Amino acid sequence: MKGTDLFNLQELLSRQKLLICFSGPFSHSVIEELGKAVRNHLENEQIEKSSIMDVFSVYVEQAQNVRNYTASREALGRPIPANSGIVVIAKDGDHYVVSSGNLVEAEDVPGLSASLEKLRGLDKAGLKAAYKEQTRKPRDSMGAGSGAGLGLIDMARKATRPLEYSVRAVDSRYYFFSLEVQI
Amino acid sequence: MDSLRIEATSCSPFIEFDGTTGALRIEGESYPENSFDFYAPVFTWLEDFLKDPAPAVVLDIGLSYLNTSSIKCLIDVLEMLDTAHGAGRDVAVRWHYDRDNDRALDMAEEFKEDVTLPFDILAR
Repeated sequence: MKGTDLFNLQELLSRQKLLICFSGPFSHSVIEELGKAVRNHLENEQIEKSSIMDVFSVYVEQAQNVRNYTASREALGRPIPANSGIVVIAKDGDHYVVSSGNLVEAEDVPGLSASLEKLRGLDKAGLKAAYKEQTRKPRDSMGAGSGAGLGLIDMARKATRPLEYSVRAVDSRYYFFSLEVQI
Repeated sequence: MDSLRIEATSCSPFIEFDGTTGALRIEGESYPENSFDFYAPVFTWLEDFLKDPAPAVVLDIGLSYLNTSSIKCLIDVLEMLDTAHGAGRDVAVRWHYDRDNDRALDMAEEFKEDVTLPFDILAR
């Protein structure tokens, strides 16, 4: 990468007050190592342990979601263009914001948007009810390699404002989906 | 009955289930690459173990963090124990949390809501 491009990229990252940024293949070891780095960093920041755990756990859910989705498309024989996932953690005033983005197949966009819209409309009690309902679904009904379907609800419960998301068409097959969670 | 022992890794807990004494222990953090795969031997072991009416069971949990798919697995473990308890088995759960970790306490309280078996939440 050319020096000027690198400079511009670094400047953009600093302007956004990013603590970490990762874009590339989301292996489990990458997720784990970055998670440890985030925790170590936050432990030196003199913030409450509960906030550290919230940032860490929202980071893990987002990174594992990106990874699981990518793996599930691979298993279907429809691999997603390589290294299209990204996860960042930024500091915004008194808050931490964990965001991620990845390519999703066009056919998954309506379902994903509907789930997020539903969660955005729920208050604390509604989110808890949705969470409990999801935990009661049998494990067998959850696809192999996917999670328990609890990640988004859990993030919404930990967030200090409704989940923000966006979808943007990249080509006829893929949309870029992004999610922003403020702690 | 044989015991089940799984050593801890940096993202998965230490598990030791003693089939003779009924002392079960899960300790550490849980966010393995694939939680359903990781907990599969735990479910298999418990299913066998709970077929017998004895011994009494005490599950000590010392988990400071679980990702959501691990939470689902632990809910299912507790559900199995709760069903056994409902059928007359002597079962108790003790959840140990670090005093400075509010989130572990919140989590314990939420797990407790879903079961009727004796469930103690203890600070350490």
